[in-house]
Amino acid sequence: MTDRDDIDMLAAEYVLGTLEPAQRQSVETRRSHEPELDRAISDWEARLSPLNTHYDAVAPSRDLFAGIRARIEGAAQATRQAASQHVPGVVEFAKLKRRLAVWRAGALGAAAIAASLIVVVLSGDLNSPVQNGQFVAVFHRDDTQPAFVMSVDLETREVTIRPVEATVPEGKTYQLWIVTEETGPKPKSLGLLENIANPTTKQLGGFDPAMLRNATFGISLEPEGGSPTGQPTGPAIHGRLISVAQ
Amino acid sequence: MTSTRDLENLLRQSIEGNTDAFEQLYNATSAKLFGIVLRILRNRAESEDALQDIYVRIWQKAGDFEPGRASIITWMATIARNRAIDIVRRQRPEADIEDADIETLISPGSAFDQMAVADEMRQLDHCLNDLEDDRQQIVKLAYIEGWSRAELAERFAQPVGTIKTWLHRSLRQLKECLGT
Repeated sequence: MTDRDDIDMLAAEYVLGTLEPAQRQSVETRRSHEPELDRAISDWEARLSPLNTHYDAVAPSRDLFAGIRARIEGAAQATRQAASQHVPGVVEFAKLKRRLAVWRAGALGAAAIAASLIVVVLSGDLNSPVQNGQFVAVFHRDDTQPAFVMSVDLETREVTIRPVEATVPEGKTYQLWIVTEETGPKPKSLGLLENIANPTTKQLGGFDPAMLRNATFGISLEPEGGSPTGQPTGPAIHGRLISVAQ
Repeated sequence: MTSTRDLENLLRQSIEGNTDAFEQLYNATSAKLFGIVLRILRNRAESEDALQDIYVRIWQKAGDFEPGRASIITWMATIARNRAIDIVRRQRPEADIEDADIETLISPGSAFDQMAVADEMRQLDHCLNDLEDDRQQIVKLAYIEGWSRAELAERFAQPVGTIKTWLHRSLRQLKECLGT
């Protein structure tokens, strides 16, 4: 059996739903940085989705949406509060995040993002001057809750990562990564986020501001002391850089 | 009937933060997604909790939807099914299923027929029919009802390893038959 066939069968069983919980979790983590696996999953979803015709529609209880509305509005407010508390001036945080989604849906092949290693980071406005720019990114855990907020000051080339709801499993540490055009396709470590109870600041003096602006940032969970391989090994969370209106 | 384009427009407005549009999207699609979740979880209260999580997730992931990659309803159904499978797999990892009647479990439904999958379904049906009867059933029970390998093993009185082998052979055969 070839590796490719292994990946294909893993994807097939993931879509079918027959993997054990730990295997499912591992596939979900791997697909964010293994384009081949991600593609295989999408292909299997397309092959098997006609089976969805077997599901009959069943009306859920009335007023279920009220709970959903409360949660999405509550989450938007919590994100706003967290952001404004930690990043002065970023009061419209949730709105910015959604604006990014609109921009991204319309302007860029999102497949490229999905397939990218940790997720492409770009500003919302590609034409604004690079100088004096403040940018922020929200890092999500499981794509649901914000775990970190990152701000980048392109003038001082300083990156600050503030925890929102991040916790560190025992024996683990978070590691910050960057991918730029100049440093090639492999992520380059920017070091560990050792004490996540406090903001961590990294000086990125070695990077050109224009390059930073278009860089990819990621945070992965690694064994204590950092990745043993020099590349992200653990579950990665991703952030998308958004320009903050001055 | 809400068209695919209508649904996509509602999703687009949702991305911009329009919760009323999102409510319309919910109204147009929730019965379909609830049908999926209920079929897999087989518990109404639990399925309603899961459905709420699913729509919160759809709201959050709305910007990830790529028209052209999958239809919006397939994209939403995938999110719902994945969530239901995650829940059911964590809850009953071991065989713990009542001796359900397979024939009644796999009832032909029509909820998604309007979503222009008729051709694909015909082709998949044709390929499923090429499988031996029990192989065809394990694929359907796994996908539609969310059965685990262990549950399938019990039902078909086979070791789990054999079920895995059957699944892999069936899936490879399906892939070849579908030519994709």
